Formats: sequence, C-alpha cells, structure tokens
Amino acid sequence: MTQALIELSDLSFSWPGHPPLLDIPAFRLEAGETLFLKGPSGSGKTTLLGLLGGVQKPDHGSVRLLGQELTELSAGARDRFRVDHTGYIFQQFNLLPFLSVRENVELPCHFSKLRAGRAVQRHGSVDQAAATLLAHLGLKDPELLNRRADSLSIGQQQRVAAARALIGQPELVIADEPTSALDYDAREAFIRLLFAECREAGASLLFVSHDQSLAPLFDRNLSLAELNRAATPAEV
Amino acid sequence: MYLFRLAMASLANRRFTAILTAFAIALSVCLLLAVERVRTEARTSFASTISGTDLIVGARSGSVNLLLYSVFRIGNATNNIRWDSFEHFANSPKVKWAIPISLGDSHRGYRVMGTTEAYFEHYQYGHQQSLQLASGRAFASDPFEVVLGAEVADALHYKLGDKLVLAHGVAAISLVKHDDKPFSVVGILKRTGTPVDRTLHISLGGMEAIHIDWHNGVPAHGAGRISADQARNMDLAPQAITAFMLGLNSKIATFAVQREINEFRGEPMLAILPGVALQELWSLMGTAEKALFVVSLFVVLTGLIGMLTAILTSLNERRREMAILRSVGARPWHIATLLVLEAFALALFGVLAGLGLLYLCIAVAQGYVQSTYGLYLPLAWPSEYEWTLLGGILIAALLMGSVPAWRAYRQSLADGLSIRL
Repeated sequence: MTQALIELSDLSFSWPGHPPLLDIPAFRLEAGETLFLKGPSGSGKTTLLGLLGGVQKPDHGSVRLLGQELTELSAGARDRFRVDHTGYIFQQFNLLPFLSVRENVELPCHFSKLRAGRAVQRHGSVDQAAATLLAHLGLKDPELLNRRADSLSIGQQQRVAAARALIGQPELVIADEPTSALDYDAREAFIRLLFAECREAGASLLFVSHDQSLAPLFDRNLSLAELNRAATPAEV
Repeated sequence: MYLFRLAMASLANRRFTAILTAFAIALSVCLLLAVERVRTEARTSFASTISGTDLIVGARSGSVNLLLYSVFRIGNATNNIRWDSFEHFANSPKVKWAIPISLGDSHRGYRVMGTTEAYFEHYQYGHQQSLQLASGRAFASDPFEVVLGAEVADALHYKLGDKLVLAHGVAAISLVKHDDKPFSVVGILKRTGTPVDRTLHISLGGMEAIHIDWHNGVPAHGAGRISADQARNMDLAPQAITAFMLGLNSKIATFAVQREINEFRGEPMLAILPGVALQELWSLMGTAEKALFVVSLFVVLTGLIGMLTAILTSLNERRREMAILRSVGARPWHIATLLVLEAFALALFGVLAGLGLLYLCIAVAQGYVQSTYGLYLPLAWPSEYEWTLLGGILIAALLMGSVPAWRAYRQSLADGLSIRL
C-alpha cells in the first residue's frame, strides 16, 4: 500500500466546554486523488480543515500529512509544514485587496522557501510561475497582473486564489466552498480548471462543499457525516 | 523586508487614517523640536551676550540686577559710582582695559549708553567677537556724536548724518527731552544679536554735556541754560558713572581683583563674574523653559497614543487580512511583526514629516524671529541631542506597537485560517 497523502486515525476533537465535534476512526486521501467532502455548515468542516492545517491539535488520535505526524510538531513547525505542502482556497475575499494580482499569487513563496524553490525550478522565476499559472487559469492579460486584486470580478478573484494555492506545487490543495459565490456555469468551469492544474502539478484536491451538484465531477465522494461518528443522526 | 513591504501596502490601503495619524505625530515632533531649538538658541545667545569681560562692577546691589542693567539694558542702577573709584581700578596694574558705562537716558524706547572708545575696542560678545561698524566711525572728540546699534538704526530708519534728540529717563514716552542738544549719527554697528543692537552709544562727554545745566534732576530755565556750543567748550569730565567692565591681564587675578573691589573702602561696590551671573539669571528663567519642554514631550506622547488607538481600532476589521496571511504561511509572529512595523513606519513618517515641517517653519520665520526676538534659529542639521529625542520617539513607537502586535498575535492564533463573514 502506497503512502497516503492524508491519513487520519482515531481522531477526536472537541472545543473546550462543548460535546465532541469530530470523532473520525479512519480517513485517507491518496496522492493525486480528487475528493469531494460534503458537509453542511456547522458540521465541523472548518475544524477538520484546521486540524489538517495544523492550526488546531486533536484531543487524541493521529493526523499524518505525507507521512509526517502533525501532532508531534511544534506550532511553528506545523505552520511551516502547512505552507510547504498545502495550498488553500476559501469561499470569497481570499485575496489581500491592497496587493496586485501577481503579488497575491506569489504570497506563499515569501513564506515557504520550498515552494519558492520549486516555482523557480519549474518556471525559471516566481514571477514567471505566477504568470504561467494565471494564464492557465484564463487570466492571460499581462496588464491584469499588476492591477489591484479587488478590481477583479469575483470569478477572476477565485481563479487568482487557485493560482496562489497551486504556486510552488504543494502536494495538497484544500478548497473550502470556493465556488459558493459563483453561478453554476462558472462553478463547473472553475472546477475543471482546478482539476487540470492539480493534475499538472500532481496535487491532491480536498474539496469541501455543501453543494452536491458538483460531486459527480470528482474521483471520490464522501460525506463528513458518514465519516464522523460524533455527527448527529439527523445529519446523516 | 518583505514584511515591511506588506506593512506599507496595508498602510497605503488605509492611507487616510494613516496620513492623519502620521500628521498628528509630525505636528508633535515639530513642536518638540521647535521648543528644543528655541530653548537651545535662547540659552546660547543668552550665554554669548557678553564674553571676554572678566568683571562687571557697579554700585552694591544684587549681581543679577547689575548684570541686567549693565549688559541687558533692563532695569536701573540703584546708585552711581564715582569717577575716581573707576580710575582707581582702571589704572591698576592688574587691569588690561576698562570700559566705563553711564546709563539713564533713552531715545524712543531704546537705551542710551555713555561710554568711551575703549568700548568699541574691547567689548566682546559671542565667541570673542568684537563690535564692528557697518558704516561710519566711532564717536570722536565732539560730544554730540552717536553710534547706533543695528536694530535702532533699522527700526527707526536712521542713517549717517541724521540728527536725533535724546530723552531724559528710560520710559518709552518721555516728557523731558534734551532737545536743545541734538546728536548726529556718525556710525552704525553691525548686528550682534545681543542688547548692543538696541543701544545708542554716546561719549561720556556727551552724556555729561546734555546734563550740564541740570540741577537736582530738572533742566535749568532761562539764563541758566547752556547751549550745545557753550557746552563744547566746557570741561566735560564725568563725575560719576553707572558701572564699568574690566579686562584683566591674567585670569588668575580675577578673584583677587573681585575681592579688592568688593572690599574697596572708597564706596560700596560690587564686582561680578559675568559667566556666573549669567548662569544665575538663566537658572531663574530655566523653569519656564523646562516646563515648555515637558509640555511638548506630552504632546508627542498624545500623538503616539493617537497612533496606538488608530492601530488598535483597525485590528478587528483586519482579521480577514490576518487570516489570509496565515493561510499563505505567515506565522503568528509574522503578524505581530507586521503590526510593530506598521507602528514604526507611522512614527518614522511622522518624525520625517515633523522635521520637514520644522525646517519649513524655520525657513519662513527665521527673519521675523531674529528681528523681533533677537534669536537666530539656524536651519541646521539636527543636533546629537535632537537625534536622541527622535530616536526616543521611534523607540516609544516600537514599544507602543507591541500592544496591538500582542493582540493580533493572540487573535490570529484563535482565528486560525478562516474567518467567518
């Protein structure tokens, strides 16, 4: 059996003073896999992503990313590990409005030497990597690169966020409701672009959404409620 | 460096608040430096009012009083000293030069001083600078000649050859004038930035001549009057003077001569060391100057607290910014550093703008301040002390920046990567 990209086992988590929110006996995400994780808001999605990012620590159990046990790392090391190996795309307002499109895309390279190094290795320079990724995602106009991020349409902004998640080839891309602000046609187009880029970069995609209509596009479908023993029956 | 660039971009995004905050700091910095500069210059110009003189001698009174009327032309002597007392010390072998001073008259608010040629030769101010004539010459044998200080000539528009009438007493508006004996302007001194600029200098003979027909403080009437021409032919040797200044052959003798004068049996006299008396006088005025300085320090503190408030209030609306930065790999200490840098940058802009504002103000007001208050404010590079003050402001800003930095650090740990809408 090859090494899983993400491997959770026997994981449980609860916020202080609250009943257990997550209790996941086992979960795997294979390298290169695209997974649709369905979960309504309040089901512990964001918390799960926090655990995968090393922002939160589980009460017990193990979180392995690329074979590395996150719970054994210090907070600073988890932060470094996260940026080296994970790209994030969020719902909306993902970008720093006061930076240019190009600067937004290049942000992770300033905090991760590993990703900056990979971007340079593959594209010659970080600038070139950003321009190439944006062009693949349909933002070809070079003039656009230097515009302020908040001057773009929401659809364009989400593509910039995708380019940012992908720059420097992290092994994992986590997308948290990235399409909720887009209309249906744009959603599908966005996801196809995202798939293509993840494949090109060899990244796995963990896509979290409550929008079931997108599920058939993915390699695999999962509901958080099925995964999570702490979920109330109503959610299943 | 990249964090600094991020902090700048974020500040630029909030430029209106940022500019206002920096401007408040700039104003306070400008005020602090202006107060500091005026203070320093006032002290320097004060200390350099007189130099090279070893002793000032007058009738026995207080040392500050003597200094005030003999050097600053403020207040009046309590008593005169006799001419022969002056001569006794002027001819002492320890004395290199002596300048007699006779005060008591004025001209349109400016004091008149009777003295001798020795004054132009030996009196020094600043860094051993002697008096210099801008035009004309020192007064000579004719008693009715006057040499004007620079400000007197400027303010009253006198030029060489003009005639002017002295008034008895030192009140700004004098009812009794020496109008029977007009003086002609023979020389105008270069500006010194000292009370010399505000003085009219006449010879002791001239001083004697205008009072020759006076008895018991009132002018003579009718036949008793003596005309200017008559006075020229009379013996104008003075009987009394107000004070005198001494230069000694050896500085070491200063205390000995001082004691000799203070213990002089001929009449009660007081000899003071100008430097010591200046110190004493300055310490009287120093309190006000220190108070002003403390007030301006508090104004700077107010500016910095304004900055702190502005940054703290921005924190909440910037949670998203922090969360995005966390998601692209910024660690909590990066976030904290960003906020410290922001505070530092605001203070730095404030300090630089404050310096600019200061120089602008000095450039605009320099001439006015010099002519009105006799203070020369140099457009000079900041002094070491001023740099220390500015450095202190920046360090204070860094310390204050650590308050929002700490809050943002906690906040970004709690918020993690996502922030709900």
